[in-house]
Amino acid sequence: MKKKYIYILAFLIIAILGYNSVYFKKLSDIKKVKKESFDFKAFADSIYYKGILKSKKTIALTDLIASIRANQEAAFKKHGNRLGIGNSAYFMIKSTGKIIDIKDGIYTIADKKNGVVFIDTKYIFGNDLRDASGLVKLTDFKTNAQFNKVSESLNEIVRNEIIPKETKNVKLGDSISFSGAIKLNKKQTLFTDLLIIPSQIKLQ
Amino acid sequence: MTISLNHPLVKKSQSLIALFLLCLFISLLSDKFMTSANLWNVLRQISVNVCISVGMTLVVLMAGIDLSVGSVLGFTAAVCAGLLKNGLAFETMDLFVGFTVLGAILVSVLIGLVLGLFNGWVITKFSIPPFVATLAMLTIARGLTMLYTAGIPISNLGTEFEFIGSGWMLGIPVPVWISIFMVLIVVFLTNKTTFGRYIYAIGGNEKAAFLSGININKIKLAVYGIAGMMAAVGGVLVTSRLNSAQPNAGTSYELDSIAAVVIGGTSLSGGIGTVTGTVIGAVIIGVLNNGLVLLDVSPFWQQVVKGFVILLAVIIDKMNQKNK
Repeated sequence: MKKKYIYILAFLIIAILGYNSVYFKKLSDIKKVKKESFDFKAFADSIYYKGILKSKKTIALTDLIASIRANQEAAFKKHGNRLGIGNSAYFMIKSTGKIIDIKDGIYTIADKKNGVVFIDTKYIFGNDLRDASGLVKLTDFKTNAQFNKVSESLNEIVRNEIIPKETKNVKLGDSISFSGAIKLNKKQTLFTDLLIIPSQIKLQ
Repeated sequence: MTISLNHPLVKKSQSLIALFLLCLFISLLSDKFMTSANLWNVLRQISVNVCISVGMTLVVLMAGIDLSVGSVLGFTAAVCAGLLKNGLAFETMDLFVGFTVLGAILVSVLIGLVLGLFNGWVITKFSIPPFVATLAMLTIARGLTMLYTAGIPISNLGTEFEFIGSGWMLGIPVPVWISIFMVLIVVFLTNKTTFGRYIYAIGGNEKAAFLSGININKIKLAVYGIAGMMAAVGGVLVTSRLNSAQPNAGTSYELDSIAAVVIGGTSLSGGIGTVTGTVIGAVIIGVLNNGLVLLDVSPFWQQVVKGFVILLAVIIDKMNQKNK
């Protein structure tokens, strides 16, 4: 008899937890709502095509390094973008070089003027592109989640649409021109082995 | 009245004394350490390790080891985030199954339980050493995480979920409340139930426990299941704190957890130790991590220091056993 009550109680607990755990909707309704809400993809598209690709703030890597060496504060202020007050800032850079290695989506580039740099074509996530572009402000969004969603959409465009198309015919030994985002720290004194989150890769 | 170093009270409180001395040492070198903001931060950070470590304590008390907790944490965290964000879509049925925060957490904890039970089943059914069986699960769970996430973080899980890892309740961070709750459950299990007594009995002498009629396999299965569940709870805390599930989340967490257990005075040969000791061990690891960062010690040296602290704890444990 006692066992019977335990089973009934367990069933009730499971039923209550289950009722509060899942909900069911028509998939077509969900897709419709997604279309009607703020279109992050369209927003990221416009940031990428109208902003990043045409940005006048994109600086040649050699020029950036030279200007940092000449006057770090001024270079960070003029070319860099950052959200907080830390020592790091993001920069949009461009350069050229020869591919000397391709491993797990990371291209090792021998850049004649700047030594070896790495371009990550696979794990494009984080806020590097969004923050380096300097085109998206936190205050334009109600929540951090929305602000981060812009990064996510921007990364998806580059990762899924741009890079596969542009690297389709690129192979080891090819010379390429590239642009992208890098993060530099004020304490940094060496500017080789930089990791670039690409925005564009072109066969030369 | 003088108390010698061999006094039982001193021996019993050696982790606590070590923690006190560590805090004193760091606070002398850094004025930021003893600020309330930093101390809350330390507690918030260690809450994940506390959850994993209390599960690990049960395993170690039974003279076992679970190397898979970090990977299980990573996988359950990814599933939790995935369900919360994307739900389950069935195109052919035009059906979308969405998960509330509660639902996503429950499913991930259940998966933790299943993975833990699988560990227990492999260990008991095939008499495979726990080290090997859980090492295999470490790789399996990490692989599953990479498959599920495709190596990409699952982010933006909503403010309601974020509250679990970043929120405050009655002036105390929510993850600290959760870890306290987990500790209380395991303390109750070890001290107030026959199940707890059986764990100590198996760890003390497995053969004697078997001969006295304890269903060893059943207890082992349950203990590994609990360890998996605790890892999943840790996964929920990590994910909600970052508001993102990282594919490499939980990497090498098993080492911090074993370190907390050992530093807390639980014997790796089983049968001796307490959950409260483990909590102190986890606090020591957390304070040590925090102190080394505040003192601007290189991350490479931090690992060396942590390694020596663990070594020291094991040596003290061995010496205590010899003296007995």
